[in-house]
Amino acid sequence: MRTSLRVLVPLAAAALPFAVMAAPATAADGGSSYQTTLNPLNHSGGSGMATVSVHGTSADIKVSWTGLPAKFGGGPYPHVQHIHIAGQGSCPTMSDDKNNDGVISTTEGGPAYGAIGTTLSTKGDTSPAAGTNIKIAPGGGSTSYSRTIKLSSDTLSSLQDGTGVVVVHGLDPATLSKKAQKEKSDLVPSLPLAATSPALCGALSSMPSGGVATGTGSTSGVEDLGMLAVGGGLLALAGGLLVSRRRATAGA
Amino acid sequence: MVRLTAVGSRRGALTALALVAATVGLILIVTAVLAQVRAPQPPRAVGQIDAEHTGSASASAVPPSVASTPGATGKRPLLASLPTRITVPAIGVDSKVLPIGLAPDRTLAVPQPGPNLNRAAWFKNSPTPGQPGPAIIEGHVDSDQGPSVFFKLGQLRPGDTIHVFRKDGIEVVFTVNAVRDYKKSEFPTEVVYGAAGEDPVQPLLRLITCSDFDASIGTHTGNEVVFAHLTATHHKGARSTH
Repeated sequence: MRTSLRVLVPLAAAALPFAVMAAPATAADGGSSYQTTLNPLNHSGGSGMATVSVHGTSADIKVSWTGLPAKFGGGPYPHVQHIHIAGQGSCPTMSDDKNNDGVISTTEGGPAYGAIGTTLSTKGDTSPAAGTNIKIAPGGGSTSYSRTIKLSSDTLSSLQDGTGVVVVHGLDPATLSKKAQKEKSDLVPSLPLAATSPALCGALSSMPSGGVATGTGSTSGVEDLGMLAVGGGLLALAGGLLVSRRRATAGA
Repeated sequence: MVRLTAVGSRRGALTALALVAATVGLILIVTAVLAQVRAPQPPRAVGQIDAEHTGSASASAVPPSVASTPGATGKRPLLASLPTRITVPAIGVDSKVLPIGLAPDRTLAVPQPGPNLNRAAWFKNSPTPGQPGPAIIEGHVDSDQGPSVFFKLGQLRPGDTIHVFRKDGIEVVFTVNAVRDYKKSEFPTEVVYGAAGEDPVQPLLRLITCSDFDASIGTHTGNEVVFAHLTATHHKGARSTH
């Protein structure tokens, strides 16, 4: 039972604690932040997470992943990674494997995640032109990538309309079908298909802004106010009766 | 003589009435006072979040003092699978978990009146519990029906465990490493939802509810956040999740 706190109950209410904290309840954290979990594509076995915090036209970008192939030709395996844009804002599924070789190639995934908007390189060029530059790609089986990048207006608008997708490329050739192992990359013909095919994917979505409204305060005020009111009233009545009893005595 | 008797009996009746009124009144007040419930007020800050000593987080009221390294006990992340049930033995929570999205104002939506009002809700854009990064599960502290699913969240302390049961039959166990009470006006979005400064490849869990009710404006001004990290996974096969 919950009634207005403005009701004053003699005797009873005074004994009850009131938690009163004066603080303004306003929205927190300006700017837009996006996040995604990176899920494996093509049975890569990897996983990770990405966050994009936009401030004006630049963004603090963090991409962490683990479980991808670590070595390639004796050196660290380069994993090119991008924010793809202007597609369906989703990650491809095996039904997008149009040539049935058991691998979703970068091209086959295109309709789902779109074209490269920003290359998440370790240094230098971040434009789509740097998309297959393995010299500035994170290398090894896991990474904790952090870079502040100026985003193009295309990438910014895709983030806002929910079609930004983080894709990390580079599969272990041994996990591919025999047929696919012999195929050339659809992007860089000098490389095998495994090297450029998508290994992790996550569609970016807005982080919630600020806190949550998980309560009505029903347990923060005074419950059973009616019972307290009746109880207080009865005590007052008892007092009144005793007074009139005294008057009766005095009158005798 | 007649007059005196009348006065005497009137006095007796008044005394009896006053006694009855006082007794019933006291019983009602004591009963009502005993029925008062109040959510345990969380401490400003206990335990440690990695984000806070890398300098990337919003300033917290109290610097962390308990040394613990969640990353050191990290478990290998799992693939995605929806959470269906959560139990928190230390505070008697056992609830179904429903997926929930963003409200039109881009804040995290909350369970609405109906069968799910007093159930826990998992933010569907966050990782599923056991995946890399911070899975978000929220619940009301109270509702118009009284105490709600996360009423006692303020009692949790580092070391307590949280168990989440997933659709794939895997039970993931998280251990609390920190509890924070934030003003909503200073809510550190990126620390809570984005794991800023923490190892985001590690599976993490946040439990969120309301705190710091302000009677003068009729609303909660704070959010309590419980920070936990994965410490065990139990593969029990396909178990029912009523």
